[in-house]
Amino acid sequence: MKRLPIAVWLIVPGAAALVFLMGGPVAVLTIDSLRPYIPGSIRAGEGYTFANYLELAKPAYFNYAYETFRIGLIVSTFSVAMGAPLAYVAVRSKRAVVRKGLLTLLVGLLVMSLIARLYAIEMTWGSHGPLAFIGAFVSGLAPRSPRYAEVLVSIGLMHFTIPIVALMLVGAFRALSPRLEEAAASLGATRSEAILTVVLPLAAPAMVSAYLVSLAMCISNFVAPLLLGRGVVVFTTNLMYTRFTDIGNYQAGAAIGVFMLIASFAVVYGLATIAKKLLPSVVPTR
Amino acid sequence: MKPLDLPLRIVALAVVATTVAFLLAPLLVACLLSFDNRSFLGPFPPKDFSLRWYRSFLDNPAYLDGFWMSVHVAVIAGAISTAIGTATALALADPRLPGRDAIEAVFLSPKFVPTVVIGFSLLVFTAFIGIYDPFVRLVMGHTIITIPFTIRAVSASLVALKRSHIEAAMSLGASEPRALWDVAVPAARSGIVAGGAIAFVLSFDEVAVSLFLSDAFTQTLPIALVAEMRANLNLTIAAVSTVFLAATLALLFVLDRTLGIERLAGDVGARG
Repeated sequence: MKRLPIAVWLIVPGAAALVFLMGGPVAVLTIDSLRPYIPGSIRAGEGYTFANYLELAKPAYFNYAYETFRIGLIVSTFSVAMGAPLAYVAVRSKRAVVRKGLLTLLVGLLVMSLIARLYAIEMTWGSHGPLAFIGAFVSGLAPRSPRYAEVLVSIGLMHFTIPIVALMLVGAFRALSPRLEEAAASLGATRSEAILTVVLPLAAPAMVSAYLVSLAMCISNFVAPLLLGRGVVVFTTNLMYTRFTDIGNYQAGAAIGVFMLIASFAVVYGLATIAKKLLPSVVPTR
Repeated sequence: MKPLDLPLRIVALAVVATTVAFLLAPLLVACLLSFDNRSFLGPFPPKDFSLRWYRSFLDNPAYLDGFWMSVHVAVIAGAISTAIGTATALALADPRLPGRDAIEAVFLSPKFVPTVVIGFSLLVFTAFIGIYDPFVRLVMGHTIITIPFTIRAVSASLVALKRSHIEAAMSLGASEPRALWDVAVPAARSGIVAGGAIAFVLSFDEVAVSLFLSDAFTQTLPIALVAEMRANLNLTIAAVSTVFLAATLALLFVLDRTLGIERLAGDVGARG
């Protein structure tokens, strides 16, 4: 009998963990989402129904999903716009101290507690914070107004996504040989022209990937709107939690969970596939 | 290489400086506020300084109990995740493994499942199969959310490893497991350390999964902090944030000395 390669045996523990810790729970969640809700009871009713999903199509639910995506799109745009120059300087700066300083900052933020950072953002950009006037100036919203919570949540999410986006792009810029820019310069291009016509197009696939990862991380974020949203900015993830804790409606929570799961995968894999078909030279296969 | 033209250099400098200031300012503000001597949240900056909020942190049993619970969960979940991530990354580095791309996509998929969904589904699932111990539930939840990151970190460190290196060891008489242990595992050392560190940090800081899987007597530090922030926004949390900042700086120092921050940036960049 032919022996299985050792790689197959090495996969087994991970596969078992995946089936037991994700496959099983998601299957049970999906079944639960199809069970009817009995008001006042934590037990599901008999039979199966799509009622929990049909409820998600109501305007009230749609608005939560719309707000979640709207803020996610804005935050991801800023994250790539601010993270890309940071990553480029962290890779290409002539000064070793600048390169190391920026990389240390990015890795440090990646490993530092998000809760601690969200608290610090509330203290800095919140109603009494020393930078609230900048937030008010840029957004046109008074720091004490309820809608200012959108600014706080966006800042919280950007603090979370910029280091991730920048570190993804650090890898992409490292993979681009500086000789490409030198070649463009030897043909008469200025450094700016070399960056705009050589570096940016070649880094575009990584930037699209970073944008989609950032968007997926924003729409699935739970803690930033919970702590900075002041009850005004409520993401779909928060809605799922409140359906479970406040109303005890497990079935509605499960349906929102399945919707969130599909939305996250659609953003990461679906949009990447569509973008690849529309821009085959720009979006990478993986 | 030619320097940047002046206008673009100014724009690039402004964007980078603004981004760095944006990222650092909150940490500095929280750090300063943590030494505020006032008993209330007053205007910034504070005039008198003291360690009263650090004493308040140390006197609060909810924080200390939560801290140790977080450490226990993060150590166990991080160790399991690192072991599984290393084995999986070694398998994925083998070109003979059929369907590597599909297998990798499946193994990395928990990264894109919202943690709130993982927490909620594990709560329903563990109740379904009769696991009620919150500590076990927490370890289960924290393990699954960290596995993709350990796989990516170890895989990144194995990029330079070629199958011929393993085969060379085998041609000298080593069995395949022995060749992997003696050649591939040392090559993956930086990724294993980086993956373990990321797994520990992610687990230690996790909120959504813990919120669903913990109970009133088994609370992690982030859950205690979230409860405090929602109930009473005081400066004790500024002291905790500063402690986190100091711990992060210490961790960065150790990682820089052992692995090198530039190499680490490449490995943890895979976190995205």
